[in-house]
Amino acid sequence: MSANNDDGRRGTRDTDRPLAIEAEDLELTYADGTEAVSNVSLAVPEGEFFGFLGPNGAGKTTTITVLATLLAPSEGTVRVNGFDVEAEAQQVRESIGYMAQETSVIAEMTARENLRFASDAYGVPSADRADRIDELLDLIDLADVADKRAGDFSGGMKKRLDAAMALVHRPPLVFLDEPTTGLDPKARNRLWDYFAEINDRGTSIFLTTQYLEEADYLCDRLSVILDGEIVAEGPPETLKREVGGEILDVELDDGAEARQRAAELVRSDGLFADDPTVEITDGGISVTSRDARERGPDLLVALRDAGIPVTGFNVRSPTLDDVFLAITGEHVEADAATDDERVTSAAEPATVTDGGAR
Amino acid sequence: MSTETVGDRGVARASNTFLGDVWTNFMRWNINTIRNPFVVVSSLVHPIIILVLFTEVFGNVATGALSEGVSYESYLLPAIAIQIALMVASTSGISLGEDIESGVLQKTLVTPMNRAAVFLGKILSEMIRIVVSVALVLGFGVVLGANVATGIPGALAILGIATLFSLWFLAFSNVVALVTRDQESTTIVANMIPLSLLFVSSAFLPVSSMPDWIQTVATYNPVTYGVDAARALMLDADVMEVLDVTAFGGIWNTIVPSLAVLIVLDLLFGVVAVYMIGRASRADVA
Repeated sequence: MSANNDDGRRGTRDTDRPLAIEAEDLELTYADGTEAVSNVSLAVPEGEFFGFLGPNGAGKTTTITVLATLLAPSEGTVRVNGFDVEAEAQQVRESIGYMAQETSVIAEMTARENLRFASDAYGVPSADRADRIDELLDLIDLADVADKRAGDFSGGMKKRLDAAMALVHRPPLVFLDEPTTGLDPKARNRLWDYFAEINDRGTSIFLTTQYLEEADYLCDRLSVILDGEIVAEGPPETLKREVGGEILDVELDDGAEARQRAAELVRSDGLFADDPTVEITDGGISVTSRDARERGPDLLVALRDAGIPVTGFNVRSPTLDDVFLAITGEHVEADAATDDERVTSAAEPATVTDGGAR
Repeated sequence: MSTETVGDRGVARASNTFLGDVWTNFMRWNINTIRNPFVVVSSLVHPIIILVLFTEVFGNVATGALSEGVSYESYLLPAIAIQIALMVASTSGISLGEDIESGVLQKTLVTPMNRAAVFLGKILSEMIRIVVSVALVLGFGVVLGANVATGIPGALAILGIATLFSLWFLAFSNVVALVTRDQESTTIVANMIPLSLLFVSSAFLPVSSMPDWIQTVATYNPVTYGVDAARALMLDADVMEVLDVTAFGGIWNTIVPSLAVLIVLDLLFGVVAVYMIGRASRADVA
């Protein structure tokens, strides 16, 4: 069982165990010449909750469909649960669960019938079938509506049923392709708890997401993919450290000119021991530095002396949002909710955007 | 089905059987049909409306173009049987398009189920629908005054011919869905083609009474062969006009060449469909 850390994120695991996913120099080029992914290498140990983070069109779904045997790689070798995805596709299919990006439950069937169909499809022994289905219905909190048509369910209920269908045969590895896209925060949080519980039971999980908060909360380790190539990888904490220190957010009352002057002051003043990164934000400036905490008060004094009024400030650890910005230059639509906000936030999760979908 | 352990990874391996996978999908689509009464009823009602309207509106006029003693009800009923087979077959591609759009097909293809069994189960369920629908329409036609000259064996044979006829279009509509990957496009194609084919065939009037260019089209139109085979059984007569076959005698001069054409068509479209299904999710990769 992996417990949550102090910051709410789930614990990391050792990597000295057999690999559930092993990809070397994976490339996939579509017939029209579009290179969807290139030189993607992955090593996901058994039991890990692995995240594949990137904006729309980055190549996440293409990668997951190759891993799940739906697309054959153009180049490279890919092994899943020890089986080659091309030569041993059938064995791969027998050893994985797959939850597609679209909510793919059979609308005309009840929740129980959907799970029954999945049980038959995955060859669950008939002696175990009924117990397994009841157990899953309890786990996903749909026991009360087990005999209602899935087409009448809410989006969150359908997603939970969809996830359960991928798990009915207790696979050692599950692929989740943007499983919480389009869900409200409450439904998303329930699904997160469900995934965490499945992982705690020992199931390896490969999750694609464009939600920074989701990757930060759930994943032991993650890769960041952009334009079909992996641009960063590691545990969320390590990636955050690569941002280069802590972040001092300074709120300024005046307009763009004051923000520009404040940024120039930081760059020229030599207040910070290292070479800080300064970003002009909507409400002020953000300074990233290893001694942001220690030298922060000095900066506030310097700004006051320069006649730039400060209305607020905050020193914080970097988020994956900052990591993403530092690595890719991409922007995030909205600030990711903190873990404390998980249950009550009414806002949609922060999403990464880029120039266009692939 | 049972499970066993493979490799040294402790992975439980499902040992699905081909017939088990066919049954799983057959039952899935049967449930789909039962829970979608609107689709079932509407695909029945439309041909029945055509049967009633055509016999009422064109009955008197058309009878003049028919052989003596043949009622338009009896003449038209085999065409309606073929029409209903076409309409039900067209819904096959539409439902596959829905599966593609909703992600259910993708999810199904990731399971260990045999891919041919997945589609065979679906097609068997649709064939049951075709048999039931055609049987109901034949019964309704008899109530309206049509006469199956070859009796109950002939009526059963008409069911068989309608089912055999439906297979090529069933395969075609699935190929359209796999190519377009879009339910709306599949629906347009699946609805447009059957009616067009019916009008340029021997369905509603004898081919010899139609313009030359339609006679040419009718010769190459699969509907002509389905309708002619069913009509030969309905009227107990050699009704084929597009081919001059005399080798088999009586109604067999119509039935044998028609069956030959339909079997070749079924095999041709079936092979294409199986090929498309095999590369269902790999078609776009270089």
